[in-house]
Amino acid sequence: MKNITYFLTVLLLLVLVSPSHAQLYTDGYVQGLFGGQLEKDNPTKSDQSVSETRLQVRMESIGDAGEFFSRVDFVYDGLADETEQYDWEIREAYLKFRLGDKLDFKIGRQILTWGTGDLIFINDVFAKDYRSFFLGRDDQYLKAPQNALRMEYYNSIGAFSFVFTPSFESNRLPTGEKLSYYNPLVGTVVGTGMGDSLYFNANEPAKTFGNSEFAARFQRQVGMYSLAFYFYKGFYKNPMGLNASTMMPVYPRLQLYGASLRGAKFGGIFWLEGGYYDSKDDPDGDNSFMPNSSLSGMIGFERQIATNLTVNLQWQADKMIDYDLFEAQQNPSYHYRDEIKHLITSRWTKMMVDETVMVSAFVFYSPNEEELYFRFSTEYKYSDEVTLTVGANVFDGTYVNTDFGQLSLNDNIYTKMTYNF
Amino acid sequence: MKRLTTLFFALLLFFGMTSRNASAQDANEIMKQSHLAYFYAGDDGISDVTMSIVSKRGKERIREFTMIRLDNEEGGNQKYYTYFKKPSDVSRTTFMVYKTSEGNDQRWIYIPSIDLIKPISADDKNSSFVGSDFSYEDVSGRHWTEDNHTLKGEETLDGKAVYVIESVPKKAYKGFSRKVSYIDKETMLPLKEEYYNKKDKLIKEFTADKIEVIDGIPTITVRTMKNIKKGGHTTVSFDKIIYNVGVKDDIFTERYLKNPPRKYIKK
Repeated sequence: MKNITYFLTVLLLLVLVSPSHAQLYTDGYVQGLFGGQLEKDNPTKSDQSVSETRLQVRMESIGDAGEFFSRVDFVYDGLADETEQYDWEIREAYLKFRLGDKLDFKIGRQILTWGTGDLIFINDVFAKDYRSFFLGRDDQYLKAPQNALRMEYYNSIGAFSFVFTPSFESNRLPTGEKLSYYNPLVGTVVGTGMGDSLYFNANEPAKTFGNSEFAARFQRQVGMYSLAFYFYKGFYKNPMGLNASTMMPVYPRLQLYGASLRGAKFGGIFWLEGGYYDSKDDPDGDNSFMPNSSLSGMIGFERQIATNLTVNLQWQADKMIDYDLFEAQQNPSYHYRDEIKHLITSRWTKMMVDETVMVSAFVFYSPNEEELYFRFSTEYKYSDEVTLTVGANVFDGTYVNTDFGQLSLNDNIYTKMTYNF
Repeated sequence: MKRLTTLFFALLLFFGMTSRNASAQDANEIMKQSHLAYFYAGDDGISDVTMSIVSKRGKERIREFTMIRLDNEEGGNQKYYTYFKKPSDVSRTTFMVYKTSEGNDQRWIYIPSIDLIKPISADDKNSSFVGSDFSYEDVSGRHWTEDNHTLKGEETLDGKAVYVIESVPKKAYKGFSRKVSYIDKETMLPLKEEYYNKKDKLIKEFTADKIEVIDGIPTITVRTMKNIKKGGHTTVSFDKIIYNVGVKDDIFTERYLKNPPRKYIKK
């Protein structure tokens, strides 16, 4: 039913921006992605981490009054149950137009991004797809689409962006099917290989107007630097809370205030970003079922250190508010976080052979959570049409209930072949 | 106006040359005029560009994009906006450069599939432009004041009278240790450039393959960079060139990176 509504919406939008002289442009790709698990005792269904063939079709129609763009994926999932092997998703289908000189609109299903971090998101609380991210799908799949209205207003002071998402869109997290994860209700790492009862099924907020998401940004250029302020009202994108009566995970209410600064300095690019996560369901930090408020900051720097070799380094510190109350609620036999959680990341990208070969490594490391996530990939552009990729995702951690530590049985390698048309 | 200036300097050079020996000052002036004729044609310009990158083994890759250029000051700061059309995996990607005659350029890329604007560290102007044999500097120009120029003589190249100028970087430079340019006396455009490395070996060779007069401005519409050191070459063709369109400065902002100016950019 949902799919039919989407389909009709796409058709309607297409018709709206198609005056007789507007042309329709189509391109896309076909891609095969196959991955294997490196750990034998992962409680997921299969020894393969991923086995899928994907067709992406992009359509664009540019008229005088506006533009329509859509990106639709058709997927054959070899690891899914027989009835669910064929699937499709509208990644994007939006209408873009301008009102007067200063107002830009983008309405429909879309991917949204802002903020300064490289794979660290403080003020960007738009939906992410971590399943895709951990399995080796293309980078574009880290961002999950949401049905939203974006309005941007430009004047001499700067750019004002407003994003209204009527119906809450959560992050896509491991479900146990292809990636195992730590289930705090069970106290262990789970996967569907252990039985369906262990599924992590969080309750999404009811679809009411009061539960819609609202995000805003103000941005302006100050000399060589880009300065921005952010606001968000909605929910934590991960089910970080627990409903005390049903004992089911829930998405707690969140309000977020933040700022960032980015610019060229020391022969490279540096960025600073901070945000205050105001946990609306636990304002005093005394509710053990809801997350405490926190203050998060990040600093990063990127520069080309040799011909075609670019390196960056980021450090994020996340401070929990009312930590003493949190600590008093913890069971000392389990690991729990420090007041300040540190995360250090680094990306190394090397281009070779006229930019036809790209070797890339990204590492996340938290010294006090004692966890690590290493991403590696090599991409070879055989021709303008054909790209071959091999890559790996490696997770490690001392504790089973940390962000990456819980994924430590999911180490995988994958290979990907893409034909662009 | 620019043509008049060019003519004026050409005349000045002509008379100057006959009265005394070629000096460094003349060479400087020639290179300045050449730079302005080549990289600062008109006050702005828009063109469809096709880049054919041919590897040593003869395999061809194609890049197609539209490029918008605005000169903020003649011979000084410039802004570039690029909208990629092909290949399909980078289609709709946009790219923006603020070129400064002194100091580092600023570059931004917008990746539409993730709605991401990213500034790119740009201290290496000698790095390849989209994997081609042209460097960023070959595309937007190396400022003439960064090299010492000497007029080596005057000769005829493919039936055209040219100045032969040798340029040596004032500060040690990765791109070349010595460059020999053959500047067409009539248009002041470079017809050929030879790049030599530290060991004085020829590493790159630029040729202007086709020159057309567009809106009264002589323009190199087909150019090739041959990579002699690595093998392979890149040929760039410019199509649908228009000058002095009245491009506004606000095109070169994040707003237009995300929303290509359809007035100038057709599919």
